Amino acid sequence: MLWYKSWLETRSRFLVGLAVVLLSVAGAVFAYPQVVKLLPLVPTIEVGGELGRRIKEGAELMRDYRGYVWSQWLRQSMTNMLSLFAVLLGTGGLLSQASGGGGALFTLSLPVSRNQLFGVRTATGLAELAALAFVPPLLLPLLSPSVGHTYLFGDALVHGACLFVAATVLFSMACLLSTVFSDVWRPALIVCGLASVLGICEPFFGDLSRYSLFGIMNGEMYFRGGGLPWLGLIASAALSMAMLYAATRNIARQDF
Amino acid sequence: MADAFVIETTDLRKLYDDVEAVRGLSLQVPRGSIFGFLGRNGAGKTTTIKVLLGMARPTSGQARVFGLAADAPQASVDIRRRTGFVSDEKDLYDYMTVEEMIRFTSPLFPRWRADLEQRYLRKFELPPDRKVKALSRGMRTKLALLLALCRGAELLVLDEPTSGLDPAMTEEVLQALVTHVASEEMTVFFSSHQIAEVDQIADRIAIIDRGRAVVNGALDDLRENYRRIEFVFDGDAPEPAFRAPGVERVQRKGRVLTVLSSAGAGRILDEARALNPVSVDVVPVTLKEIFLETVVAAED
Amino acid sequence: MVFRANPSSGVPIYLQLMEQVKHSIETGALRPGEQLPGMRPLAEELVINPNTVAKAYRELEHEGVIELRHGAGAFVSGTPRAKKLTDNLRAGQTIVSGIVEKLRARGVTDEEIRRLFEAELAGVNKTGADRG
Repeated sequence: MLWYKSWLETRSRFLVGLAVVLLSVAGAVFAYPQVVKLLPLVPTIEVGGELGRRIKEGAELMRDYRGYVWSQWLRQSMTNMLSLFAVLLGTGGLLSQASGGGGALFTLSLPVSRNQLFGVRTATGLAELAALAFVPPLLLPLLSPSVGHTYLFGDALVHGACLFVAATVLFSMACLLSTVFSDVWRPALIVCGLASVLGICEPFFGDLSRYSLFGIMNGEMYFRGGGLPWLGLIASAALSMAMLYAATRNIARQDF
Repeated sequence: MADAFVIETTDLRKLYDDVEAVRGLSLQVPRGSIFGFLGRNGAGKTTTIKVLLGMARPTSGQARVFGLAADAPQASVDIRRRTGFVSDEKDLYDYMTVEEMIRFTSPLFPRWRADLEQRYLRKFELPPDRKVKALSRGMRTKLALLLALCRGAELLVLDEPTSGLDPAMTEEVLQALVTHVASEEMTVFFSSHQIAEVDQIADRIAIIDRGRAVVNGALDDLRENYRRIEFVFDGDAPEPAFRAPGVERVQRKGRVLTVLSSAGAGRILDEARALNPVSVDVVPVTLKEIFLETVVAAED
Repeated sequence: MVFRANPSSGVPIYLQLMEQVKHSIETGALRPGEQLPGMRPLAEELVINPNTVAKAYRELEHEGVIELRHGAGAFVSGTPRAKKLTDNLRAGQTIVSGIVEKLRARGVTDEEIRRLFEAELAGVNKTGADRG
């Protein structure tokens, strides 16, 4: 029944997130025909520097369906949305419930270990995150034919995996901070803040952007033909596990 | 595991940041007793309960429940399997209904009593489909009590069970407790600052003040041993140094000397006779007076 | 008969119950051989600790006032001991009645009478005879 309780607690966030990412993938696919029509209208401005290079590259990529999906959807809206919901799913653990209204003392009086409580809650969050990360890409092979293009199932699977593993870093960070701060907002704001800073700096990494967290998340290396970003994926997974472990240690020592 | 004491603390200390909430508390709760834990707000009652249930770890000293160490994580799970708990806030899961709370809690307890569940649902008149957040305080207390009583537990730990309840509901709750204790093998440990209810159902008590037990024992013994003795003298009352044990408080006011004794009046009267009082008055002391005297006295 | 418990009086509840049982026997409300209320139902009705009722009944049995029959309940003792006890109580009541009347006639208030009795019972004796 602990699983049911975790589900009830995260249900709204998950369902809203699911609706958002599903709408965004559908929106991206069905907008493509319009985009194609508008492409010739993109003026060739010479904007200098890194930003200029990016804008130009973006326009180039859009000519190809796969490029469009990657540069407009995966790299932008999907990454942003998934990051946000990864953080939201990671907050709201036992500690915040203790500050009122969450029945924390009742939970703690049950014959379950704290590891179990944390484990169930975390596993539920990760399962929901996986759904948010995998379902939208997997819809691409199904929806693309309706606009006259194809999208490879293999590509969808790889991108889903990259999205999920990288997003767990943000999820775990939110989980860990939730064992330090007793309110729901601070962990969320801190992680979102860090992610935003990273996101803002990213265009200036140049070629190295594929190694940043968001680079892993949107699978840039794979998209550009460099194969799966194994190192990045392993590092992300290791970092997530380390943070979750630290969170369990915090919970074990916490006085309520 | 036939320990005489279901709960036992030895010089328990708990430090929260820089506040020492519990400062050397030693108490023993015998099996089958109804133990009242009295104290003012902030005296350390809730902290003690949290330590017993593994929600907080002691800074030093020992706490044992069913003979098991309360701060050992696995032992604590065992303790909680055999214990029913009602917290001060009575907060449950707002978003669940009464029925869902029961369905959530019962699988965790192998000795769950479905017969008691039916009985208390009827008796407390709890609507199964109503969400917890829509329940009044009294109903939430009753639901929390139901969830605690149906576990097949050997020990009930209640933190201010009747706080916020009107007299009729208080009596209902007390009656449910007494009925339950009468028919099941059970020990009850409840904290309260309602002296009347402790008077009514407790057989052993401890009074905790600023983290320490200032009074500890069987309630009937306290009633039989605490006496207030008033001496009136011809001139100004003397300030004798009583050698008799149990002198808790001595007050002089003009020609009147008042002594609060926790060990009967006999020996004090013997000693005072030499001072030639004009009159002597010996009266029993109520629990309320014992409480106010021992807790307020410590402030002097 | 109706039992009542006054938890806040400072007198142990089990003693109050014992007194009430003895009083009931003495007034005839409870007769030798008659059954007393069960321990559990009585505790539930009065909303007091079941151990308290048990203690009262045990003490009454110890004094020979009642008999606890295993599985059947508590019954007023039919023995001469119980009878003697109630006779003593009856005699005691007459004596006390007389004393109280006399004191009242002297103008001593009821409150003062109560204190005199308390002090006497506690062993104060200004004439010097040691009661210990």
